[in-house]
Amino acid sequence: MSSAPPGLRPLTSPPFPLSAPASRRGALRFHHFRTRLLLLMVGLVALVQILTYLLVVRVNRENALARIHENLDLGARFFQQDVDRRVAEFITGARLMSGDYAMRQLFLQPELDRATVRSALLSYSERLRAPVMVLFTPEGRTIADTRGETGSDDAAFRELIARADRQEGDQQASGFAVLSSDRLYVLAVLPLYAPVPEIVAWIGMAFPIDNTVAGDLKKITRLDVTFTLARPDGAGAFPVASTLPPDLAREVARRSDAAEGQSVLQLRKEPFVTTSHRLPLLSAGSARIALQRSLAIELAPSRQIEWSMQIIIPACLAAAALLALGMARGISQPVQALAAHTEHIVGGDFSRRIELARSDELGDLANAFNRMSAGLADRDRVRDLLGKVVSPEIAARLLQSEAVLGGEEREVTILFSDLRNFTGLSERLSPQDVLALLNRYLDRMSAIVEEHHGVVDKFIGDAIMALFGAPVADPDAADHALAAAQAMELALRTLNAELAAEGRPQLAIGIGINTARVVAGNMGSQRRLNYTVIGDGVNVAARLEALTKEASYGTRILVSDSTRLAARAIHPLRAVGGVVIRGRKETVMAFALDSAG
Amino acid sequence: MLSFRVLVIAALLGSLPAATVRAAGTVQVHCVDTKNQPVADAVAWLTPLDVTPVLAPPAKPLVIEQQDQEFRPYVTPVVVGTRISFPNHDTVQHHVYSVSKPKPFEIPLYRGESKEAVLFDHPGLVTIGCNIHDWMIAYVLVLATPYYAKSADAGIAVISSLPPGHYRLEVWHPRLAAEVTRAVTVAETDTSPQVITMTLKPDRRIRRAPDASGGGYK
Repeated sequence: MSSAPPGLRPLTSPPFPLSAPASRRGALRFHHFRTRLLLLMVGLVALVQILTYLLVVRVNRENALARIHENLDLGARFFQQDVDRRVAEFITGARLMSGDYAMRQLFLQPELDRATVRSALLSYSERLRAPVMVLFTPEGRTIADTRGETGSDDAAFRELIARADRQEGDQQASGFAVLSSDRLYVLAVLPLYAPVPEIVAWIGMAFPIDNTVAGDLKKITRLDVTFTLARPDGAGAFPVASTLPPDLAREVARRSDAAEGQSVLQLRKEPFVTTSHRLPLLSAGSARIALQRSLAIELAPSRQIEWSMQIIIPACLAAAALLALGMARGISQPVQALAAHTEHIVGGDFSRRIELARSDELGDLANAFNRMSAGLADRDRVRDLLGKVVSPEIAARLLQSEAVLGGEEREVTILFSDLRNFTGLSERLSPQDVLALLNRYLDRMSAIVEEHHGVVDKFIGDAIMALFGAPVADPDAADHALAAAQAMELALRTLNAELAAEGRPQLAIGIGINTARVVAGNMGSQRRLNYTVIGDGVNVAARLEALTKEASYGTRILVSDSTRLAARAIHPLRAVGGVVIRGRKETVMAFALDSAG
Repeated sequence: MLSFRVLVIAALLGSLPAATVRAAGTVQVHCVDTKNQPVADAVAWLTPLDVTPVLAPPAKPLVIEQQDQEFRPYVTPVVVGTRISFPNHDTVQHHVYSVSKPKPFEIPLYRGESKEAVLFDHPGLVTIGCNIHDWMIAYVLVLATPYYAKSADAGIAVISSLPPGHYRLEVWHPRLAAEVTRAVTVAETDTSPQVITMTLKPDRRIRRAPDASGGGYK
């Protein structure tokens, strides 16, 4: 960075940083601050709310999934239990049948009358509401089948008979199998004893897994149920029973065949959590039960909460925005007021006071501003007063450095002027008129002194003591003093012309100029001091002024030899000879300065 | 259908002759299960291989009683042509029947003596039940040889009065998993018993419910 190091201000910059364009930037900054606060508050609230919302959505989804998973497991277990219950019902019925007298009578006949046995079996299947009943010999040969004369697919039954025969306890068994025409059945077998434990036949029965079974399961579990089959030839699985519409059931069959366990299926673009369990088949091929639950339906109660949140969140954001705006205004308005107040101070108006009815830091700041204004006003008053009481150069010198007693020796040209016969004049005029006249005269004269780089050291009644070359050193001090004297004479002529026009009395002055080494500095007491010069040279100047009263010199301005020597320019000086100064042994060579015009 | 492995171990397996003969022509068969526990109610019989035995069924019918709603005895071996009567000593009626191939029959509900004895004229196993009491069961083993015996509680069946010669020894029990057959030669001097180890199926007989008298299980 090539700019000045921080903290250093270019010398040309104004003393107060808050100039007019700066304050406009400030206003922009306040707007910015308001916006930032707004963004911060709204952003924070939005962040928290959105995170909460996302969390709620996620937890709802997870809960819904967990519930569905639990329900799916329950559904699968319920199905198994339902199958077991139905099998148990059949077995209970069949056991009663096996002990039936009439059935034994049939077996008592020397030749088994198969037609009669089958018709009896049909009667039993009606009683038990078992769609399929088959009777087998102890060796597993078919005796009678309610479906017809010959059981074409009794391998599954025979497998069950073999299993039941091996049972330690009750000799019964059940399982799933595909019977005629690609339908899934639940099969069960139990022995026909005569008497127990003499097995004279096996009773087999089967009921289909159809849409009724699926529908009943759905009524209780509220789950969609699809039973699928896949033939051993490797062709795709197809639904055999379902609570779903056929196209969806086919889709489920196709998809659930691949995945055991739980998965999420997209059916008609709606997510369905699905569980698929293999049903052990006695016959070749594979069967499954697929249970589904729509995630959308399970999530419906949660959606209510989420919708509520979608209303609550913008409301909270709006509230936060309003709150942030209020807070920003609460801060930026007083700050803007303080900035405007600062503008007044920059403009030099220290009279204004800022009123903030606040007890916080901003209130403290406003009070501090007010105290600052008061302090600045005080300083300004002092500066003004000082400029009037002492000459501006001395005032500046006093303000710049600490006013301490003491001085330095330096060469100074001292100019003394006095009004001739002013005492007599003042007797003829009222005091107010005297003061007005005097002030008018002194105002003109002191202006001329200052124009010529001189300093009015003091007014002594109607007399003026002016310094050239102090407090600021001036190599042309003598020339400036001489020019000032001529200008003063000229100015008095103008004033006299004005006074004459007003009918007032004329004024006459005498001027003495001397250049000498004197002590210049602050003199007086510790509490009150004056910047002035002290030395014999001052007396010489005063003495020369007094001598102008004497007509013998024929001049109004007397200049000492030292001033003539100090002057660099040519001045119309005329030697008037040595003059005796009171208290001095040697005479001083004096010169008359002729007036400029 | 019989899935149990048949395990028959003869005592003198591998030493010929396999059978030993007592002086009086008696074969003692020790029936044990696979845990070497004696098996009662097992029937052992010897079928002569050299001659056709002469069967002499008893003139008086044998008796299978019904008492305390049970058949007694549980197992009855007989020769073909034997008649058995089924007297009912209970106060309740019974309906004795069998659907077994050698002798399907029934004696409809009755009390006291059965009307006439049942002739068992075909060899084979006849399982007898009661149509109204599922737990009641009895076995009649109809044999084509007079040389048989039923094992007592000690598991020993003694078949005596055997002419020397070659026989087929067979054993049966209601819970027998598979047939047991063994060749036996009956000689003058044999004293060693035949030890038959049989694999038994679980006892599937119905446990009777406690009756009104509170007698507990029988």
